[in-house]
Amino acid sequence: MSTVISAKNLTLAYDNGRNEIIKNASFEIRKGDFVFITGPSGSGKSTLLKSLYGEIRPKEGSLLVGGVEMRNVKARKLQELRKHLGIIFQDYRLINEWTVEKNIVLPLMIDGYPLDVQEAQAQRLLKHVKLSEHADRYPLELSGGEQQRVGVARALSKNPVVILADEPTGNLDEYSSNVIWDLLENACKQLQTTVLVVTHKMPTVFSLPYRHFIIESRGVYEVR
Amino acid sequence: MKSVRNHLMFILPLLAILLGIEFYQVFERVTKHYEEKLKTGYTMLVVAKKPITLATLKQQNEHIASLTPIKREQIVKEAAGNLDKQTQKEILSALPYFYNAGLDSYLGIQMLEKIKIDLEKLPEINRVETFGSSYSSVYRLFTFIRFLLKFFIGFMGIVSLLLIMKQMEIWRYEHQERMQIMEIFGAPLMLRSGVLFRIAFVDAVMATMITAGIFLYVKLSWVPQSNIPLLMQKQNVLFVISDIWVLLGVALGIVFVAVFSVVLSSTKGIKE
Repeated sequence: MSTVISAKNLTLAYDNGRNEIIKNASFEIRKGDFVFITGPSGSGKSTLLKSLYGEIRPKEGSLLVGGVEMRNVKARKLQELRKHLGIIFQDYRLINEWTVEKNIVLPLMIDGYPLDVQEAQAQRLLKHVKLSEHADRYPLELSGGEQQRVGVARALSKNPVVILADEPTGNLDEYSSNVIWDLLENACKQLQTTVLVVTHKMPTVFSLPYRHFIIESRGVYEVR
Repeated sequence: MKSVRNHLMFILPLLAILLGIEFYQVFERVTKHYEEKLKTGYTMLVVAKKPITLATLKQQNEHIASLTPIKREQIVKEAAGNLDKQTQKEILSALPYFYNAGLDSYLGIQMLEKIKIDLEKLPEINRVETFGSSYSSVYRLFTFIRFLLKFFIGFMGIVSLLLIMKQMEIWRYEHQERMQIMEIFGAPLMLRSGVLFRIAFVDAVMATMITAGIFLYVKLSWVPQSNIPLLMQKQNVLFVISDIWVLLGVALGIVFVAVFSVVLSSTKGIKE
């Protein structure tokens, strides 16, 4: 399997490099991997994820995402890279003035897909996340679990190479959480999508047979 | 309802700026004609010992544009018409030469004084009368009105720009979340700001049309019944079609600057 994400001696920092969060981390993630990232609060889990979609520039070392070096990536290249990523947030980050259907096809809209393709993909994904009857509703009319399913559908809409999920079940009850885990596992197994999930839900991590990174004391350690 | 209010919050200050600009343009065109009339109507009196030419005066001061002799015979006839011909002839021979000197533009009092000094340096000239006081009162009133108008338009423009900046804050608040989400998913700047550009473009066109409508109404309906001779004479310059392009250009310029500032301030970029 080809390498999708590769970090070598990666250092991430805030405050113009003064506040180092992760130091000298090295790891590789291959196509089709499902990876959990856990660690104490403030350890740098979300920071690592943000560096993968280019919201934070690495201070030192190398970080390759889909072959793009994130340390010196230019805005236009980053824009292109992001079109191949599916991103899921703990607080869903849906566009509240858009319908569920429009939210789901946002990545297709950005890439200029024709309307009929957008519509067909939206219908397929709505069915997949069991929200077909909510297509014309607005995010704030849905429950938290339903909103996160919209977020997952949006992340899947362009069959991305990598899905980055930051505490995707952090605000959800157990039933909704299980639905989200199923959706992410299916994407990984059926589409060979690489999935990186930051979570603090350890029972889930231990119950699923996937790779597991722990971030602690500024280091990234693979424990499974 | 909220959408209408949002549009009005942007259209009204934009309208104030456009009305100010158009009012200034119209004022300049109308008063240019008035200024022209003042200029052509005004002459200074030049009294000379012997006949002089325009070229001689122009050499002394370039603002002299015309020179019309006042008929001395007419002066004698009016002043001493009841005297015998011999006396009239003697008076005529002793009388200096009088001229009306016209200027090339509407000049300030200081410039009039300079012209007087320049002309009086010529040995053949006895005296120059500028009629400064009456000229000055008209000129000062004219410049005062023009200053007041510019000040008022400038003040209105500043207040309107502040209101537009306030509206930009509201736009930023309303659209920031959406634009940032779109940015994370790789949307280019033009796509994530498309909604704002559409709103702003519509507002710019509407403000331009309302301004043009108001001035067209004034030109075609109000002025003919106003009984204000200056306006009635210059009805054709009150609003000209090319003004629409000026207004639209200004409106689009303002809205695009506004939208770009909102978009750029909402862009997260990459944290170093």
